[in-house]
Amino acid sequence: MADKAILYDATKCTACRGCQVACKSWNELPAETTTNRGTYENPPDLSPDTWLKMEFREVGSIANEDMRWLFTRRACMHCADAACVKVCPTGALYYNSLGFVSLDKGKCTGCGYCVEFCPFEIPRIDTGIGQVLVRAAKCTACTTPGLDRIDNGYEPACVKTCPTGALKYGDRYELITAAKAKVEELKADGHPDANLYGENLVGGTHVLYILDDKPELYGLITDPKVPATATAWQDVIKPLGYAAAGVVGLGLLLNIMVARARIISKEEK
Amino acid sequence: MQDVERFRKRAIFQHWWIVACSLLLGLTGLFLFLSWVSPAAWWGWSRLVHRIAAVGFVGIPVIYFILNPKSTLEWLKEAFTWNKEDLGWLQAAPSYYFGGPEEDMPPQDRSNTGQKLWMLVVVITSVVFVITGFIMWFFQGSIPQGAYQAMVLLHDIAFIAGGTMLLVHIALAAFHPRMSEAMRSMTTGKATVDYVKTHHGKWYERIAAEK
Repeated sequence: MADKAILYDATKCTACRGCQVACKSWNELPAETTTNRGTYENPPDLSPDTWLKMEFREVGSIANEDMRWLFTRRACMHCADAACVKVCPTGALYYNSLGFVSLDKGKCTGCGYCVEFCPFEIPRIDTGIGQVLVRAAKCTACTTPGLDRIDNGYEPACVKTCPTGALKYGDRYELITAAKAKVEELKADGHPDANLYGENLVGGTHVLYILDDKPELYGLITDPKVPATATAWQDVIKPLGYAAAGVVGLGLLLNIMVARARIISKEEK
Repeated sequence: MQDVERFRKRAIFQHWWIVACSLLLGLTGLFLFLSWVSPAAWWGWSRLVHRIAAVGFVGIPVIYFILNPKSTLEWLKEAFTWNKEDLGWLQAAPSYYFGGPEEDMPPQDRSNTGQKLWMLVVVITSVVFVITGFIMWFFQGSIPQGAYQAMVLLHDIAFIAGGTMLLVHIALAAFHPRMSEAMRSMTTGKATVDYVKTHHGKWYERIAAEK
């Protein structure tokens, strides 16, 4: 099946945060008690109960008359080469047939590796001694087993609720074509740094951003990568471990068989 | 036949206590290491068992050290004392363990070179396990991703090194025909004079002289 994607157009977003609410509503996530920090941005961070949040940034300055208020969506980017899937030891994180990185909480053991290896720092897990049986949590593009909107013919909850059309769901390649046209429009319209964020990052993300300025202004990392430690661990250290245990195990078996045969035959003489 | 005391009761208790904790830790860790047994880790119960066993793994040796500081330090000193004679063991070991002539093995001390090697592996991997495990348990979210990743990798490397050497330890101590009284020493604390003379000649001479 052709890959699907979510396209976020930052130039259309009014930061109403309807997506945040719809996400909580569909995924049965409770609201969080927070305190006023002098910003509309709330809650302060992603959490096991908040899989999507809008970030608010003030850039430029009033003196230069270039003050701007930028909004960014912060949630799983659904990488095609996802570090979380690579390090997940139980198969709880997996690529679903549409290219999204889904999460089956029933299989999650709560190790938290996904939290520590994600280049976008998206997954969250409860920490603390009192937290005994914990689960990782993150956006699954509404493909969580048992709560799968896509499988039932709907679009993700955040897309469904977006009033301005800043969020779109559809075929990844079609969205990319449309997004590139929009980027060209923006460039012609006095935004030379306009760009499409995510198309070729970490294997190609399944959440794409139309930005009218450099990604770093939006607080987005410019060069996300699967950490070298994840590759070294999974592709080098672990196979070496299997090999070491196998070779040593076989060697010991051989040793004991030979030693037994020789020592017992000596005793018989 | 006359017996010699190899291990005290409390040392034997500590040994088997650590065996129990290590097996629990190793098995629950293996769930995350081998994909085909990973369903055993679903729901996270193994994570809880791993942590309880970790407390036991650290706790009893700490209590043992507080109650027996002198013998613990002696044991550590033994593990870290290496000299030219150990080279003799290394040269003789391949033939010896494959059933070659017993006389070719130079006389060994209370612990032979192989046993000391295992003691070193236990000490070093335990230190790595405990430090990295402690950080992963209590500092998740409060240290940078890169530092945490290093802890995960070191924990895994210690598992591979310690686990592989554990296979050697189990095979030699429990199944090797030449180590015929190893299991008896670690259960009853005693070994026959004959066994001690042939396997730990240097040590036997010393304790015989002390008597």
